[in-house]
Amino acid sequence: MTEEFTPTWEDVAHRYGRKIYNFAYRLTGNPDDAADLVQEVLLRVRKGLSSYEPGSFEGWLWRITRNAFLDGVRRRQRRPESALPDGDHHILGSSPSPDEVLSSVRLSDDIQAALLKLPYEFREAVVLCDVVGLTYDEIAEATDVPVGTVRSRIHRGRKLLREMLTWPV
Amino acid sequence: MARMTPGPDERGELFSAYLDGELTRDEVAFVSQALEGNEEAIAEFHELRAVRTRLRMMTEFEVPAALLPDGHLGDRLSAYLDGELPTLEHRRVTRHLVECVDCRAELQDLDRARIAIRSLPGVDAGSSGEVPVIPVPRKRRLGLIAGGVGAAAAAALVLGITMTGGDQPVFTLNDLAARHVARASAEPAFSIMPSVVEAAAP
Repeated sequence: MTEEFTPTWEDVAHRYGRKIYNFAYRLTGNPDDAADLVQEVLLRVRKGLSSYEPGSFEGWLWRITRNAFLDGVRRRQRRPESALPDGDHHILGSSPSPDEVLSSVRLSDDIQAALLKLPYEFREAVVLCDVVGLTYDEIAEATDVPVGTVRSRIHRGRKLLREMLTWPV
Repeated sequence: MARMTPGPDERGELFSAYLDGELTRDEVAFVSQALEGNEEAIAEFHELRAVRTRLRMMTEFEVPAALLPDGHLGDRLSAYLDGELPTLEHRRVTRHLVECVDCRAELQDLDRARIAIRSLPGVDAGSSGEVPVIPVPRKRRLGLIAGGVGAAAAAALVLGITMTGGDQPVFTLNDLAARHVARASAEPAFSIMPSVVEAAAP
């Protein structure tokens, strides 16, 4: 994406939809939350593109994505069946669908489980870096913290993951 | 070099950032120096690299297709036909139409449907090749529902199907064709396809 080019929301959907989905999936371990986030972000992008001023599109988009994600978390926290950003919340249900069963299997992946145990700030930084593929500068812009803080969070997140994981290196 | 003896946490932070290609030249030099002959530092570096690799090798899930636009023009086609799109959007649609056979075909269907619907109320009853006239409110912007009704009527015309029903007034296919030609001549917007191609021509 060049600095001067403002994409349509369809462009954004096709170019970033998968990344947004995976961002939310890895942060929550929940495909429904991930799908909700994609819809919400695309809606916000559609509304916001008319006022978007060409610049760092990635920074703009991931700020929207992060804010939408945190708004979703706050919304769910207000509901009795809240899904918190921290801790394990796998897909549970009395009669899971095949997709849900498959997702549960995926979530048994030890690194996903370990990710969900990280403090939110560390998890967010690690996911933006290693899952979404943003640079430290882009993460700093998206999360509104200095680059040094991003560097520290990524390292501390990976270090905690290493301590939690049991596989040999 | 500014810092020759950083603490263990800072050293690990530099290792992580080194793996991500986020260090300055001086910091890279420090990492090289820190790793030289230091078994503990080498082990820490390998562990961080292994965690990073595992994170990056996690399955990347496909976003459910239902969440994404299908890449085609969809409901913008009706607005395009009605001249209701903003200028930039109109240009985008035109560019897409030049490249997309599917959307051109859909536009053509919608155009036929639109013409058929707009022609229906004014047609006289005939005695052969009868097609029932479906009473449709005549509005400027009919949208997709009206388009769908019109598409059915247009499909019936294309296939030469004769439908009968109740006391509905009827008209002949010849009448409809003549009316279509007359309106297409009088209103260039009815001949949408040639204009689309011309507008996008280099």
